[in-house]
Amino acid sequence: MIGMSAVEWLEPRSLEEALDLRARYGEDATVVAGGTFLGILMNQGFLRPVRLLALRGVLDLDSINQENEGLVLGAMATHRVVERSGMVREGWPALAHAFSVVASPRVRNQATVGGVLADADYASDPPAMLAALDARVVVAGSGGRREIPVADFILDHYTTSLEEDELVVEVRVPGRARRAVYRKFRSRSSEDRPCVSVAAAEVGGGLRVVVGAVAGRPQYFPEACALAESGRTEPDLADEIARRYAEAIEPISDARGSARYRRRVVAVEVRRALEDLYRE
Amino acid sequence: MSDPRVTGELRYSQDIELEGMLHARILRSPHPHARISRVDASAVPEDVVVLVPHDVRDLGYYGCQIKDQTVLAQEKVRYAGDPVAAVAATTPERAEEALDLIEVDYEELPAVFDAAEAAADGPLVHEEIKLSENDAAYFGLRPQQGTNVCHRFRIRHGDIESGFGEADVVVEETYFTAGAQHAPMEPHAALARWEGDGLEVWTGSQTPFNTRMDLAGIFGIPEEKVRIVCPPMGGSFGAKTFVRLEAIAACLARKAERPTKIVLDRDEEWLTLNRHPATLKVKLGAKRDGTLVAKRVECWANTGAYADCGPGVAQKMGFASPGPYRIPNVWVDSHAVYTNLPPNGAYRGYGQMQCTWASERTIDLLAEKLEMDPLELRLKNILKDGDRYCTGEIMHDVHFAELLQRAADAVRWNENRHGKGLCVMLKGMQTPSRASIAVEASDNGNYTVLCATAEMGQGARKAIRLMAAELLGVEVEKVGFPDPDTDAVPYDTRTTSSRSTHMMGRALEKAVEDLRKNGRRGYGEVVDEGGLDPDTGQGVASSHWHQGAAAAEVEVDKETGRFSVKRLHAPVYAGRVINRPGAELQNEGSMIMGVGTALFESVNFSEGQVSNANLSDYCVPAAGDMPEVLTHELVEGERAEVHGLGETALPPVPPAIGNALHSLGINITGLPITAESVLDAIDRRDEERTRSTLPSQEEPATEGVAGKNGARRTYAVAFGISLGALVVGLLLRSRRIAAAKRLVPRRLAR
Repeated sequence: MIGMSAVEWLEPRSLEEALDLRARYGEDATVVAGGTFLGILMNQGFLRPVRLLALRGVLDLDSINQENEGLVLGAMATHRVVERSGMVREGWPALAHAFSVVASPRVRNQATVGGVLADADYASDPPAMLAALDARVVVAGSGGRREIPVADFILDHYTTSLEEDELVVEVRVPGRARRAVYRKFRSRSSEDRPCVSVAAAEVGGGLRVVVGAVAGRPQYFPEACALAESGRTEPDLADEIARRYAEAIEPISDARGSARYRRRVVAVEVRRALEDLYRE
Repeated sequence: MSDPRVTGELRYSQDIELEGMLHARILRSPHPHARISRVDASAVPEDVVVLVPHDVRDLGYYGCQIKDQTVLAQEKVRYAGDPVAAVAATTPERAEEALDLIEVDYEELPAVFDAAEAAADGPLVHEEIKLSENDAAYFGLRPQQGTNVCHRFRIRHGDIESGFGEADVVVEETYFTAGAQHAPMEPHAALARWEGDGLEVWTGSQTPFNTRMDLAGIFGIPEEKVRIVCPPMGGSFGAKTFVRLEAIAACLARKAERPTKIVLDRDEEWLTLNRHPATLKVKLGAKRDGTLVAKRVECWANTGAYADCGPGVAQKMGFASPGPYRIPNVWVDSHAVYTNLPPNGAYRGYGQMQCTWASERTIDLLAEKLEMDPLELRLKNILKDGDRYCTGEIMHDVHFAELLQRAADAVRWNENRHGKGLCVMLKGMQTPSRASIAVEASDNGNYTVLCATAEMGQGARKAIRLMAAELLGVEVEKVGFPDPDTDAVPYDTRTTSSRSTHMMGRALEKAVEDLRKNGRRGYGEVVDEGGLDPDTGQGVASSHWHQGAAAAEVEVDKETGRFSVKRLHAPVYAGRVINRPGAELQNEGSMIMGVGTALFESVNFSEGQVSNANLSDYCVPAAGDMPEVLTHELVEGERAEVHGLGETALPPVPPAIGNALHSLGINITGLPITAESVLDAIDRRDEERTRSTLPSQEEPATEGVAGKNGARRTYAVAFGISLGALVVGLLLRSRRIAAAKRLVPRRLAR
């Protein structure tokens, strides 16, 4: 609503056109995917872009495909489409679940895979799950394409390794995740964002536990996860890994819980996630 | 029959348009307390009308109970969000852009945010406290000049010292309740037009006549020169009471010589009116057998930067805080206190939720200490027909014991009390008050009801039309009810405190009787006398009492403190029911708001700025937050009076939930009941249990890595780092840091 009259609206029809515009304007054009995050920022006046680069019209950015053993999610695929996709539910049920617990259906019908990664909001659900599945973000720019692991793509609060001339085009999730869980711990409303989220998966024979919503980026500690390979037995193992995560994470404080509280919950929820994982 | 709300035919306040009208936006202070040293609007283009403090300095002060507001802040701003300037342009976007062109310089002043602190000491928000002549200032106001206390209400009943002297058991606790936002679907909207020296305002308002009075005072014109029309509101819950945007819209319209409309953005709702955060200190004494002997209550209602109806809220909080019990010795001091927060005012229940929370939690503390069943303790002391309340008035048509028993039965209290809690409440209705109504007959057999009762989704029009149809002996379709218009309808105090169906219903009976005598037009009026002595609390607090109860059953995750409400039941005394579906919806709606208050609703602040002024960071109850079983009942009485039901089922909900936790040894004093506060309370409980058993006892398994450090700290609401982090993140991301820095502070306050 606010100041819309002054905003220039760019609506490319192809990826090439979109990348040209991105290269031309860089940060002078704010990229819009689903607009659920940007809408709030603009309505509250935190962001007043002069130019919006809308990706809605770009063809073929919203597909969901299987390639070899892996899953390829188009950047413009909505949360709702991912959550309801038979392919995703069948091969990556925990991922479908992580997308299904975001906000409300109204939001999920708009919010996109690329958007949630590029926004790098610490309190979003999908990034932790994607990181646990060792997913990679494919970005395209004037220099061509490159792949970045999700865990390295998000650097800090609202900060990514995306360059000014680049756009997220897809996300690649390797292999079928036989064992994977996503636990969203909400401290307030059922439609709230997580206070603590835990994604755990067995990928390539190894354990990957990623904790979301507690710091500027998803939290992954390979050394703690490596304990799973030392032949120890659960439930000892789950306790030990959970304890190590709780010690290693420096949580933030916000309206959903203090740092002290989050640390307590991390210890509980990581343990529960591992219990869920090994129960499956 | 298609409902005009569903078909989109209904014209809400924000839909009203006049030819040639301008759209206004408000420039607000980013500082909670600051001297205005300069306002420069010279850069605003000529096609935009701009209103600066200088333009309105000669206009009158207003305020429904205390005269403390000016149309725009004059020498200083008193909260982050205080209107400093306003603009009107042909489109809202054009107006929005013009706001950026106004420069304001501030000298910051020390600010105070906590009510108890502001009452004791702290910088003065207002240097002088003047009383209002508005009808809403209907009771004896006791401002404490030279302090931030704008009203002090007292009850002195019996002898408090000797009362506690007789007590075998005494409990004492301090409670805190957070502020809440009404969050109606439709934001505030007002449209003003001048015709000569007459002012017309279309505004979503529950208080047409109070608003007329204040506007006449501001412009120094007779009340008859001001016409207020109230289209239906898309929700209000108390938010749309008294003067909000009307004065700014009227000033802009006068300067522009064109009609001017203001519709607030969602975030501005948090800067316009919230519910009073409150601190309450309760001390309660009883005999060994559970007979209550003395109660002492101190309340501090945080009314924010302007009093609004805060004095009334504090008074109601005070007079209802003893609860529906026979207590021979009662001492109450209740204060409405200025702070540098946005104004707080009427919110479904008007101080009732806050005092019921404190009062009913204390009953369970006492029951625990007496090792008594909380139901038995309540029933032993409950007010019965013919009993005298601590204000001296005699209670009639009393149903507290029955309501309480029904609540207890719904959760099978007699089987076990584990995870279950109860609450019972008495709530006053606006007293004194006056309602009048006219009924006109037309030749074609139709009738028109002329009535100031405002429709905000509560179904008042439907209830009044149904009553009229029954009295007139016609189909309800034959009874019209146009929008309240102060030029056309007779006087009414206001549409608040669940009084309309009760008061207007009685006035309507007289009007129809009068119509039968006179043929064309009948007029009816009801006046309820009463009121309390502000220094002793003696008199008539309420001409008619609302009675409600609730029971809750909870399940707690001991490791995280997260809990769920399995069952919630609220019986209320309804007397004679007029519109059953409407009455049921009022109960359900009240309970749902009560769940929000209990579980998570909280207006958060960072250095006086609201940090969660959006519906993403501020949680309102969603379908998934509802108890597994949510039920209620209307307890009816034959030949009984009509009882208003708009608010009764809200206040009992949070204490019932708090008491359910208490049954598990989880002692919560603050609202909302966050998972974190529950975990802290579990830690305290386990510590005490460990201490009271063998010292070698193992640590409870629920203890996590953080150990017990700081478990005793008082829980304070953490404010939104999400917002702080967002701003920092955006600054980092933006290459135009300088521009963003200029932008963010102002927008933060918007």
